[in-house]
Amino acid sequence: MINIITALQCEARPLIDHYRLRGNAKHSAFRCYQNDELRLVISGIGKLAAATATTYLASSDTQTTSGWLNPGIAGHADHAIGTPLLAHKLIDAASEQQWFPGIVIPTPCASETLTTVDRPEAEYRPGTMIDMEASGFYAAASRFQSCELIHSLKIISDNHNQGTGQITEKNTTTLIHDNLSTIDAVISELQTLACQQNRIEKAPVECDAFMEHWHFTTYQQNELRGLFRRWHALKLPTAPDPNDFSQLTTSKAVLKAIKEYLDHQPVRFYGASS
Amino acid sequence: MHRLIYIEEAVADHPRTKAICARFPKSTKVYCKHYGEVFNRKGQNFRLQKQSPALILAHKHKNHVLNAPDGYGIGGQRNYYFSHMLNCLYDCRYCFLQGMYRSANYVIFVNYEDFQQAIVDTARQHPDEALWFFSGYDCDSLAYEPVTNFTSEFLPTFSQLPNAHLELRTKSLQIRTLLNTEPLDNCIVAYSFTPAALSQALEHGVPSVEKRIEAMAKLQQHGWRLGLRFDPMIYQEGFEKDYQQLFKQLFSRLPAESIHSVSLGTLRTPKAFHQNMVNLYPEEKLFAGRFDEQHGMITYAKELEEQMTHFCYDQLMQYIPQSLFFACTPPE
Repeated sequence: MINIITALQCEARPLIDHYRLRGNAKHSAFRCYQNDELRLVISGIGKLAAATATTYLASSDTQTTSGWLNPGIAGHADHAIGTPLLAHKLIDAASEQQWFPGIVIPTPCASETLTTVDRPEAEYRPGTMIDMEASGFYAAASRFQSCELIHSLKIISDNHNQGTGQITEKNTTTLIHDNLSTIDAVISELQTLACQQNRIEKAPVECDAFMEHWHFTTYQQNELRGLFRRWHALKLPTAPDPNDFSQLTTSKAVLKAIKEYLDHQPVRFYGASS
Repeated sequence: MHRLIYIEEAVADHPRTKAICARFPKSTKVYCKHYGEVFNRKGQNFRLQKQSPALILAHKHKNHVLNAPDGYGIGGQRNYYFSHMLNCLYDCRYCFLQGMYRSANYVIFVNYEDFQQAIVDTARQHPDEALWFFSGYDCDSLAYEPVTNFTSEFLPTFSQLPNAHLELRTKSLQIRTLLNTEPLDNCIVAYSFTPAALSQALEHGVPSVEKRIEAMAKLQQHGWRLGLRFDPMIYQEGFEKDYQQLFKQLFSRLPAESIHSVSLGTLRTPKAFHQNMVNLYPEEKLFAGRFDEQHGMITYAKELEEQMTHFCYDQLMQYIPQSLFFACTPPE
């Protein structure tokens, strides 16, 4: 799953159309759109709104690992209008707090520092994009996800030559629309990364069957997951089956029996000489 | 190629920073106040970062030379380590670094002169004793040589310190500098090995056993003193045959007189690091066998440890005199 936070409806519109996202009426706090792979929330302007929307979306996320993207428009003194830039460093101007998203995905565009300000500023800051949401988005998302899966991707909307006065809803939509291939490439890479991670973190399927037979405390459930992961890592010929432990009456005894069974299994690495 | 190079503002103009950056003209430079902002923060995934590690250039302010952990040594009474670099180019599944660090990015401390001065100071504090300095604790000593110039920068320091010994511990083929340098009597080039099949399964990105032996043979011909490190020994069913074969392969190519020292160590990881490693790689067979906890360390079962150590020791004694052998086992 990829979670997308945009500030404005006009930023979201091209994404809603491109990914055929449907409005989700269950959500009343924010306007939410989704399909099977993406969820988009329109936060409104400002870092507080972005942080709130991010937390709102995270609280209803059922995946262990999801990608997070904050696409939108930003100003920059020098970059040409329409340039897409991934943020490699985020600064909250008010608190001077900094974050460094780990860029491990192949990126279809260059990257730049992104400074989030509380109010529109008359002057451009040197060497940085300027927006009003990214620090709130990042601060909130990084509570739920590791930094490699959280990114802000901004399209330059104004610069020294063409200031903020010329920004309209229509040309904002056009800027996002014209960069859909770049946005899509980032989303696709994030999806790949999140899928990889979900596969790694997925609880072994046998856990449910065992939990139907015996009562495991939360601590024991973790232990059970760990043991079944060992079971699968050892590539044993048979899968764990609760019927094989049916004579045991307590979850503690089951865990002990599985551990003893695994401790006695041979360890042999693939490709090892015979 | 690193997509990003993070640079501490304080070393932005350091000549070594400029030289390293010049090797990566297409990398984006990102400035930070302290490398820990990037390297140490929470919410990072070592496994994901290992897919595309960034480079971090930083200044090491203190603790340039540290006491080596118990059991990390080859007979010397005073053992130290120093780390001009944190993290390794290779991806060995048993490596404790992946459980110790939050980030897989490579940190290079560019103020080599401070490390060198600390080494000189330490050596001068004990002028009548033989001191050992290990450079391959937090990284591979040679693997990033083309970027770090580590050996060409540090060997001259040791050439002036007859009581200080340097161990370069490596799995790398980056030996050009060593082959272009007059060998030092007080420097050992120590190669780490696991049997070939285990290396293929667990040492990702590491040159093959055969290639490493070839590199050692070249170093030996050039006059460098060599070390062999079987630390950690890795268990699999039938380990005897694997290690027998490895020892035979090594000693058929490397004359015993070229070997300075051989050490054996068992797989031991602090419990917290081990748990981090299992969480990162739950599907990894290495972590799926039986492990016990001994004094806060996760180890193979004691009887298995002893069985492996005795077997490998006995095998090694067929090739080397006892005086060259060192067990890397911390006291209990």
